[in-house]
Amino acid sequence: MTPLRAIRRHRPLFLTAARYALIEHLRNRFAMVLIALFIPVWTALAFWSVPGTPTRFRLRATGHLLTPHGNQLTEITGALNAVTLIIGFMMFAASFTGGHFDRRLALAGYPRTHLVLAKLTSLALASAAVAAYATALTCTFWTPEQPALLAAALFCAGITYGALGVAFGSLLRREVEGMFAIVMTSVIDLALQNPLYSSSSDGSVVRCLPSYGAMQAATGAGFSTTPLPKYLAIQAGWFTAAALVALLAFHMRTRNTLGKTGRPRSAAHQPAASPVRKMRFRQCSRTTTAECRVSQGDPGPSVQDARRIR
Amino acid sequence: MEVTGVHHAYGRRVVLRGVDLRLRPGVLAGIVGENGAGKTTLLRILSGELAPDRGTVRHHGGFGYCPQAAVLNDALTVRQHLNYFKVAYGLSDLARAEEVMEVLRFSEYADERTGVLSGGTRQKLNLTLALMHDPRILLLDEPYQGFDWETYQRFWDLAGRLREDGRSVLVVSHLAYDAERLDELWRLHGGVLRERTTEPTA
Repeated sequence: MTPLRAIRRHRPLFLTAARYALIEHLRNRFAMVLIALFIPVWTALAFWSVPGTPTRFRLRATGHLLTPHGNQLTEITGALNAVTLIIGFMMFAASFTGGHFDRRLALAGYPRTHLVLAKLTSLALASAAVAAYATALTCTFWTPEQPALLAAALFCAGITYGALGVAFGSLLRREVEGMFAIVMTSVIDLALQNPLYSSSSDGSVVRCLPSYGAMQAATGAGFSTTPLPKYLAIQAGWFTAAALVALLAFHMRTRNTLGKTGRPRSAAHQPAASPVRKMRFRQCSRTTTAECRVSQGDPGPSVQDARRIR
Repeated sequence: MEVTGVHHAYGRRVVLRGVDLRLRPGVLAGIVGENGAGKTTLLRILSGELAPDRGTVRHHGGFGYCPQAAVLNDALTVRQHLNYFKVAYGLSDLARAEEVMEVLRFSEYADERTGVLSGGTRQKLNLTLALMHDPRILLLDEPYQGFDWETYQRFWDLAGRLREDGRSVLVVSHLAYDAERLDELWRLHGGVLRERTTEPTA
């Protein structure tokens, strides 16, 4: 297959799935309300209700002793908490409610690779938008040292929890189980890392938590000028691991037990049982060239026969 | 479609104990059975959703599957569903889908989100998604659930025309009211299929 033909074949498959995955997220009204209200409320409350007393702790990422204001530190944790919960919830909801639909699409012949790439694209776009929004809100209260790094850290945390949401949506059987799993994962993950609440935030256990890389990068972004690509990479590793689990769950859930030969095809691609009564489509568009040639070269009935169903 | 020696169990509960079935072209066939007899399990195996513990399923041609409960995406409109499956099936247009929608009389809902549709209209779309690529074999699991009487009649007219066009149609139901419309009727009982006369029994 020439590159041009490959693009022509793959582009509509990817674009259609990506467009509808995005539409599905945008029509998730509860998630939109959470983004519009929860993030600013959480950010504002964290900033205003926590005392601005300087809090001394050593950031593992830089090794430096930092003394940020308590409310700014809590605001960063709040932003991470809000982004991870919202993106996790959005992806969980889409995965949980759309699991059977995805399987139907896959059984109908939709390539699962394109469905997965479309989901990843929608996850990345949703996470980028929410991370940018949360960073902008943060900047209205105080100015982090590295806003771009803060946005990147929020983005990485968002896509990690989005992938976890997909995995929970595929593996758990009840909606409440998935929501509880996401909320508790985020609470435990972030609470253990917050130096205000836990003296062990420099300990070895926290390094194994799902948002450790993002928390280190976000905190460094707030109060340090040191670039921290290593910690974004650590977070990317967590995302990769969560995405692999999600991918495996998706693969198991959408597999066709009949194999490739059992995939639905239109009658136009098959030898007709009754040539006189055969219904034809005007063209084949996504089957092998050989199949299309056989079908189109067959001197069967005209297009009018396809209208007889009326 | 040829089905040979299909067995399936959920844990210790054995549902299918060696189902054999051959569906010829141009035949309108039905499978009836009591609740829990394994009809939906059998259809899920025939459609590739579920792997049998033992046995083989061979499709000599493309097929369409209409699941018992409407499998739709509530966030998308009817037209978006059709476009999604148009790409999945590799179709060049939606002519066939529009014809089926005309027959089932729900074209006016094309721009409605499926989440706000009635159960009957959702079922019409569910059926259309199984038919829109003009498959040679149709596997329909209680496809007229939620239909009003007029739509129910139109469904059977449609099934009759598909048979005339050489398609094989397999309808699964827990009732045998429609036995006189069928060419072949099997009863699923005790995990096996038994052929029976096409007389109304339930």
